[in-house]
Amino acid sequence: MTLEARIGVRLGTLDLDVAFDVAGGEVVAVLGPNGAGKTTVLRALAGLVPLDAGHVRLDGRTVEDAAAAIREPAEQRAVGVVFQDYLLFPHLSARDNVAFGLRARGLAKPAARRRAEEWLARVHLGGAAGAKPSALSGGQAQRVALARALATDPALLLLDEPLSALDVEARLSVRRELRVHLDAFDGPCVLVTHDPLEAVTLADRLVILEAGRVTQSGSIREVTSRPRSPWVARLVGLNLYRGRAHGHTVALDTGGALTTAAAAMGEVFLVVHPHAVALHRSRPEGSARNVWCGPVESAEANGDRVHVRVGGPIPVVAEVTPAGAADLRLAAGGDVWVSVKATEVDPYPA
Amino acid sequence: MSGIAGRASRPRRRGASALPLALTGLAVAAVALLVLPLVGLFLRTPWSRLAALLAEDRVHQALRLSLVSSLAALALCTVLGVPLAWVLARRQFPGKRLLRALCLLPMVLPPVVGGVALLVAFGRRGFVGQPVEQLTGITLPFTTAGVVLAEAFVALPFLVVTVEAGLRAMDRRYEDAAATLGASRATTFRRVTLPLIGPSLTAGMALCWARALGEFGATITFAGNRAGRTQTMPLAVYLELERDLGVALLLSLVLLFASVAVLVTVRAGSFTSP
Repeated sequence: MTLEARIGVRLGTLDLDVAFDVAGGEVVAVLGPNGAGKTTVLRALAGLVPLDAGHVRLDGRTVEDAAAAIREPAEQRAVGVVFQDYLLFPHLSARDNVAFGLRARGLAKPAARRRAEEWLARVHLGGAAGAKPSALSGGQAQRVALARALATDPALLLLDEPLSALDVEARLSVRRELRVHLDAFDGPCVLVTHDPLEAVTLADRLVILEAGRVTQSGSIREVTSRPRSPWVARLVGLNLYRGRAHGHTVALDTGGALTTAAAAMGEVFLVVHPHAVALHRSRPEGSARNVWCGPVESAEANGDRVHVRVGGPIPVVAEVTPAGAADLRLAAGGDVWVSVKATEVDPYPA
Repeated sequence: MSGIAGRASRPRRRGASALPLALTGLAVAAVALLVLPLVGLFLRTPWSRLAALLAEDRVHQALRLSLVSSLAALALCTVLGVPLAWVLARRQFPGKRLLRALCLLPMVLPPVVGGVALLVAFGRRGFVGQPVEQLTGITLPFTTAGVVLAEAFVALPFLVVTVEAGLRAMDRRYEDAAATLGASRATTFRRVTLPLIGPSLTAGMALCWARALGEFGATITFAGNRAGRTQTMPLAVYLELERDLGVALLLSLVLLFASVAVLVTVRAGSFTSP
């Protein structure tokens, strides 16, 4: 079971054009800032938003193809959706919510209810079958929504911000349980989220969506260690630069240059970890190959470290100890010297 | 309060309290205007003759006719009004605002004008009534069917407005959820949309029925005032004022209780969240 999707949708100011494949049993997280078009991706896959361009194929079968004017409506697609705020039908019990899809697909009421109760037992809600959604906790509602989506035996499972409606305490336990159910699901699964923690704990692979385009995709390790967009870099807490490499020197697109230990040619990204950035009050002596000067823009405590944002020709975030921050007399403002060793500047092809 | 501070602030305090006092006085007058007539109704009702009056034929006839015609009008309004509300709430087409305005016009139109309009359209010489009579032999004016039509004409907008508001307020993503679960449009409408707008539908039906039950102007203009066939309770009340005040009061009381029941239903509906 596989999903092949290329989704082109124009909706108001959103111009969405993304392509990705998901293998059976694989969980892909579409991660991006709010307004990037994540929910529209999900709605298009479910058949709730028509494609202006592109196609959706499930197991090689074309479910929708804009060019060929093929379009299965949502009710004919074997797609299970867990909506952001679950959208459990408020007038139906948990049991009848789960049985809804089975009944709609022609199963008789007693059989549908029996199957629904089996599913509720599987998500450890056997005792709450008769409860109305208003009587369920957030975590319970999430599990009912999951059971409702899975009960129809979908070929594709979609989850929209599955944990965002939960409070912090419920999130941990629900995430763990959700992971178990996602592992048990053997079809392709797509979840969209703006929460990187949700993405890395639930997904096998990330697709980064920004302003309607995929800026990066790959394994969690690839994406977090080698970001390809400022948004991802900020998310994982790395300094990201882009420029043109010529041997050990990279001329940055924004001006200035950085020296790298590894040689490279052509367009590259560079990452520098904040803890590899040293700050000084006066021009440093020593072996660091990259030294420049810039104004301190902000400093904020982050755990037992202080993150100092320095502006100037090459903006950078440095991670220093509170003692180091005190030595720098940051409150006094003014310029500081920045030094980064060439070995700490990691280039990779853009 | 006492002392210098209290005395010093008195003029301003009096100025500030004059307005609320006036408002309260006017509010009391409003309550008197609304409630005193009802009190009068209770005081003058011939309670001792109640049993005897209820057994009278003309009372029976008016009660039965009102009940039958208002319920028939309610059924007609529900069958036609829910789809109309759905079209107004969900479909986009040119001239929709104009259509809505036209459909809601009977709410503000003097009922007697509605009756005249019905007469010219559905009367025996009307541009709809004449061909209908020639084709089917059915005459609408001065028949019970005409009463139902007149009542539906004035009551339908109340149902449409309320149900349309309910459809607009409803979270349509529930319908999306139903679709992803494999439910057809019809199943979604029946099992999701209708239950979710249930409170609005109940309120709309209650308002619609109350309006139909109390309809006077359009009915008497279009359907006339024939005992047992077109003489509904409001018409009977008006007629009995001249003949037997007791009957008029009794029928008025019945209508009053029906109205209270409707009010309770509407309030209950608006407080029940889906």
